[in-house]
Amino acid sequence: MNQRTFTERDTVDFVIVGSGAAGGVLAKELSTAGFDIVVMEQGPWQQNSQFTHDELAVERQLAMLNRVFEPDQTFRATNADRAQLNVGRGLLYRRAVGGSSVHFAANYWRFRPIDFKERSQWGSIAGTAFADWPISYEELEPYYTKVDWEIGVSGAPGPFDPPRSRPYPLPPLPNKSSGVVLERGARALGLHAQVTPMAILSQPRDGRSPCMGCGHCAYYGCEYGAKSSSLVTTIPKAVATGRCEVRADSTVSRVETNAMGRATGVVYFDTEGKERRQPARAVILAANGAETTRLLLSSASPAFPHGLANSSGNVGRHIMFNGFAFTTGRFEHPLNEYKGAVASRVVLDFYDADPKRGFYGGGGIDARFPYGPIAFAVDMLPPELPTWGSKYKQALRDYYTHSVRFMSHLTSLPVANNTVTLDPAHPDRWGRPGLCLTYQDHPDDMKTKQWFRARTEELMSAAGATTVWSQPVLPADGGVHLLGTARMGNDPRDSVVDRYHRAHDVPNLFICDGSSFVTSGRGQPTMTIQALAFRAADHIARFARSHEI
Amino acid sequence: MADDTLSIFMNDTHITRRDFLGHMSRGGTAGALLLQLPWLATLAGCAGDTDTFAHLSGDEARTMRAFAAQILPSSDGTPGAEEAGAVQFIDRALGQPFFAGSAPVIRAGLADLDTRARELREAGTRAGGFASLSGPRQIEVMRQIEHAPFFNAARALVLIGTFADSSYGGNRAGAGWAMIGMEHRPSFAAPYGWYDAQPAAASTKSAA
Repeated sequence: MNQRTFTERDTVDFVIVGSGAAGGVLAKELSTAGFDIVVMEQGPWQQNSQFTHDELAVERQLAMLNRVFEPDQTFRATNADRAQLNVGRGLLYRRAVGGSSVHFAANYWRFRPIDFKERSQWGSIAGTAFADWPISYEELEPYYTKVDWEIGVSGAPGPFDPPRSRPYPLPPLPNKSSGVVLERGARALGLHAQVTPMAILSQPRDGRSPCMGCGHCAYYGCEYGAKSSSLVTTIPKAVATGRCEVRADSTVSRVETNAMGRATGVVYFDTEGKERRQPARAVILAANGAETTRLLLSSASPAFPHGLANSSGNVGRHIMFNGFAFTTGRFEHPLNEYKGAVASRVVLDFYDADPKRGFYGGGGIDARFPYGPIAFAVDMLPPELPTWGSKYKQALRDYYTHSVRFMSHLTSLPVANNTVTLDPAHPDRWGRPGLCLTYQDHPDDMKTKQWFRARTEELMSAAGATTVWSQPVLPADGGVHLLGTARMGNDPRDSVVDRYHRAHDVPNLFICDGSSFVTSGRGQPTMTIQALAFRAADHIARFARSHEI
Repeated sequence: MADDTLSIFMNDTHITRRDFLGHMSRGGTAGALLLQLPWLATLAGCAGDTDTFAHLSGDEARTMRAFAAQILPSSDGTPGAEEAGAVQFIDRALGQPFFAGSAPVIRAGLADLDTRARELREAGTRAGGFASLSGPRQIEVMRQIEHAPFFNAARALVLIGTFADSSYGGNRAGAGWAMIGMEHRPSFAAPYGWYDAQPAAASTKSAA
């Protein structure tokens, strides 16, 4: 792509690390506001035409994530355990322009007012750092609406929606058979299935194609450009300003600071592994909850002995993934869930936590079966069926096109000992310290999963499935939502950034991505990540103009 | 995928992946550095209907073919793993980084099948390998080992060879997809399934 470029001799206004959901928004907004921007992206700049429907490469070899099988991550459940090499699992995200917004499923639920003040309403929870956010839904609402209209979100109002200042810009995508049977189950139980908001175009918009129903959203890149990823929305607009360079294949290793305790730019490796620098008046980290943590902890200096912006000791703590639990069912007629966008209906009756359940937790339940035939054939049939032979072959035929999962998307609690830390013993290909994930579900998170698994089973039976099967829920040992590791808060003693995403300890360092989350929400964080980024960009531009950075 | 995207999307594959290739993904770690697109191109270039095997010996290929034909048989008159070319896929895959880690397990397992077959000393047959056994006898031998690491790895390879994109050398003419009733097209228009095609579904609004 033709774009303005900068050199190491140019001190740009902002270096933004990360080109995903948050980085794309920040780049577009700040370049549009007149600032010079370099976006650093560790992976390549792929185009829509490079995306395929190749299940082996995408789902099994995780080709979209890039370099995910390199031995630079470890896992342990608790600090007392010995960390084990954890390859192809754990902290999962795409290294490429557009970040994980390229291959996500594009569910775009907003948070609700309760998500920002749940500590006040629910009370404290033992073993957690459960806290209110320093901002409210009302404060963020204009930015949720901005996401809807800037990137293109398709949807329709539902009975439990929080207030919104503008309708959806696009009508819903078609209801799928999974949505119809979820509606049937919900009606039978007195629940409500509503349209799932999706960051996928239902109509042409901005020169982009609408959804072609190919069925390859989750895990895959959209070759039609219908999925509203940063790759096709904010990034091209940022570049078109003539004030933004997206520097792909450039891996930042640390943020540099001066004697005044201010950030001066970033150090990075180019494609040849040559170490380079990009000076900037301010640095914005939007690299995701794992990579942002790595950069902050790797940028320790005598002035910041425990890592940059880490006087609270909270950098890398409280990682949250969002729990999940599901039940699978087979129906009499074909659903063909391999076609169309991932989900079309969602039940949000259980969104709020309820003290009567005896534990904290809430979530939503949608219907989906976005699994290719390899994944299905390997281990998705009911466990009592044969796993090879002619009856197995017949079962694959009977079940693949007729099956659906009711999938719950859930809260996770912020636990101080659930951490991302540096693992220098397992460096990455650039020599950067690897990452160690230490994680164990809070007991309430396990109970939440168990409770929701039971609800999905009831819904599946009520929907009229002829066969219903479900497995015991498992403790999480990683995930794709990387939330909470540089939490936002008013008190520098227990948070990393303030309500404007400015690091408490470094006046010209901003951090805005999933790491900013104080609590986890209910399973679909990207809409909120982008709303936060639009809001942060407004305030950062204001500070810059008034020389308050 | 994150959100779900991977939200669940990934969370969920996690489970599958864990049991999936099992030792394979771990064994393939070093080789996985070279992973992905380059070898896809290689495979695409040599996909074809040839019985010349690059990595399996003649005996191994024969045994593998018989094993694959028991995983997804064609005895019902429709193409199975053998007709889909799963064995051709496996032969090529074993030379590629992502799968190479499983090669020793596969080779040892195939040899073990032949040994077990000979020990059966099936009446009226020469002391041939697994492939020379009758169907019921093959099934009997496979039942003896169906919880062994070899079985899981070989079964996974058969399934991948049957259902992966045809450019890898298996799933000939989309035989795997046809086997399970999946249409393979670049795009689809709604309605997608039976339920959303019903008149009532078309008028379904978001629930009150």
